[in-house]
Amino acid sequence: MLTVGIDIGSITTKIALMDKTKLIYTDVAFSGYDMARAWQDIFKTMLLKTGTKEMDISCIVSTGYGRGSVGIAHKKITEISCHAAGAAYFYPDVKAVIDIGGQDSKCITLNGSGTVSDFVMNDKCAAGTGRFLDVMARALHVELGDFGAMDHKSKKPVIISSMCTVFAESEVISMIARGESRENIIAGIHESIASRMVSMMNRIGVSKPLVMTGGVSRNKGMRTAIEKKIGLKLLVPNEAQVCGAIGAAILGGA
Amino acid sequence: MKLFAYYDTGHEFSEEIIMAAGFTPYKILGDVHVSNDPADRYVHHYICPFSRSCLTEGMARSKDWVGIAFCHGCDTTNNQYDIWKYHVKTDFLYWINTPAKNDLAANTFHEKELRRFITHLENHFSVEITQDKLSHAIQTSNRVKHLMRELAALRSVKDIPNSAYHALTRKCVQMNKEELVELLEDKLKEWKNLPVFPADREPVLLTGSDITYGEVMEILETAGLRAVRDDLSLGERYFAQDISQEGDPVKALVDYHTRIPQPPTKIPFDARLSYLESCLKETPVSGIVYQILKFCEPHGLDLPFMTGELKRLGHTLIVIEREYTPTVDQQLVSRLESFREIIQRSL
Ligand code: SF4
Repeated sequence: MLTVGIDIGSITTKIALMDKTKLIYTDVAFSGYDMARAWQDIFKTMLLKTGTKEMDISCIVSTGYGRGSVGIAHKKITEISCHAAGAAYFYPDVKAVIDIGGQDSKCITLNGSGTVSDFVMNDKCAAGTGRFLDVMARALHVELGDFGAMDHKSKKPVIISSMCTVFAESEVISMIARGESRENIIAGIHESIASRMVSMMNRIGVSKPLVMTGGVSRNKGMRTAIEKKIGLKLLVPNEAQVCGAIGAAILGGA
Repeated sequence: MKLFAYYDTGHEFSEEIIMAAGFTPYKILGDVHVSNDPADRYVHHYICPFSRSCLTEGMARSKDWVGIAFCHGCDTTNNQYDIWKYHVKTDFLYWINTPAKNDLAANTFHEKELRRFITHLENHFSVEITQDKLSHAIQTSNRVKHLMRELAALRSVKDIPNSAYHALTRKCVQMNKEELVELLEDKLKEWKNLPVFPADREPVLLTGSDITYGEVMEILETAGLRAVRDDLSLGERYFAQDISQEGDPVKALVDYHTRIPQPPTKIPFDARLSYLESCLKETPVSGIVYQILKFCEPHGLDLPFMTGELKRLGHTLIVIEREYTPTVDQQLVSRLESFREIIQRSL
């Protein structure tokens, strides 16, 4: 039985094709302005590359902020349930999931059977989200992909005290003007996001195994900062970025 | 009939006194569709936006009202009274110091306050507020409350959209009561014939800050949730109890306010909790939506205790903070949908 999960986020659109419990295919593309176009393109590419026919797919599930735009979806499920299901696919005994997305960050707790028991979300403020990292990367003229390696070279992370992305950006610009190294600033940025994540986690009380999903999980500096602050090891599947889409495909077969 | 406006962040105000004076009580509810700019000249942005909206309405519409009365409520309300004295043009602005407690001393004080208010109204408007007139007003109020209880009870069995119920609760505090009774009687006939409670909605209990505009209810609806019980001032707090029609009407009004579901400005918190518990026992719900308006202090203060207790009692609940805006916030919808998914998987 083939099922497809399509996760339309504010920055990227992800797709996963599953045959019962076997992961067949995943892909990631930019969402751009036209969300309908984004899922149609990635869906067509998937059909083409896997040789799948649309009529062979028994269930398509959409998730993410753009889930309403997927006209062909049989079900629309929120990203909270999908990220939890995706994480439980890789780590069946997972107790908590954190996800730093483009415009929100969330912390989810699961009961023993892999279903969501509680969640907290920051979706009102860019601080503590992927957008915060984007803004900082632009201010520092550094590729986001290099953040992890540069953090590793930091000798003394700076302290970023502003709670707001806009003010934090000014703070970072002042640090650049003062001659602070980019490595130290980047490590400080990671610590600042980690602090916000950890206070969110403390609100619902997380325990291990703790899984991190979403694109930001590829950033080693970010992972280390969170691990240090929460005192727990983060488990990160190779497919962390597409975990929401995988979870959607799994729930499509449930 | 002329309108007499009142500013009350709970259900403290005794509308019956105004009805007995020959006016229509009109609760100031602001207008979320109108910019708060006029009020923002006098009040900071971090003060409750609903209260700023009320001030905006007061500045624009006070000439349509014969007078305005305030009741002691949250700190925001109390501070607003001083601002209104300077910036809202009216011939009659009055403060009723409704007590925060419910003991004997507080009730004696409340009775004195109501009698003082009656005397001021009589003197200013040259009217006589007799026992008979008060008793008649109480009778009309009770008819409204009775009809609203019947209508509200239908929420868990019939397909009544959240916003349709909310629209009636607004009318209760802004419309002429005789016309309101007719309207509610018609609605009751109409609602009794509606289809049964829809299978694609989860019944929830709604609590937290008062909801003053229908768009908030649409957020719930969009997320597949149906509020079938509540303890809001535009809601059950207003009609859960009747006013006694025995004895002295002023004493009956005082007694009435001790029995209604309590707002968060009342001490202690437990009274509010026990009303919620009774709702949960009477009406099966799948979860509790605890929403607070950004910068709403009493509910912010109340939240840790209330949510802690409700969770301890084993209820599934979600806490959301909302902005004062008519825009249906998709992020809030998303959170509430996640909540619905949690409920559905746990059923
Ligand atoms: S919303 Fe809260 S802070 Fe604002 S007036 Fe009402 S009770 Fe007071």
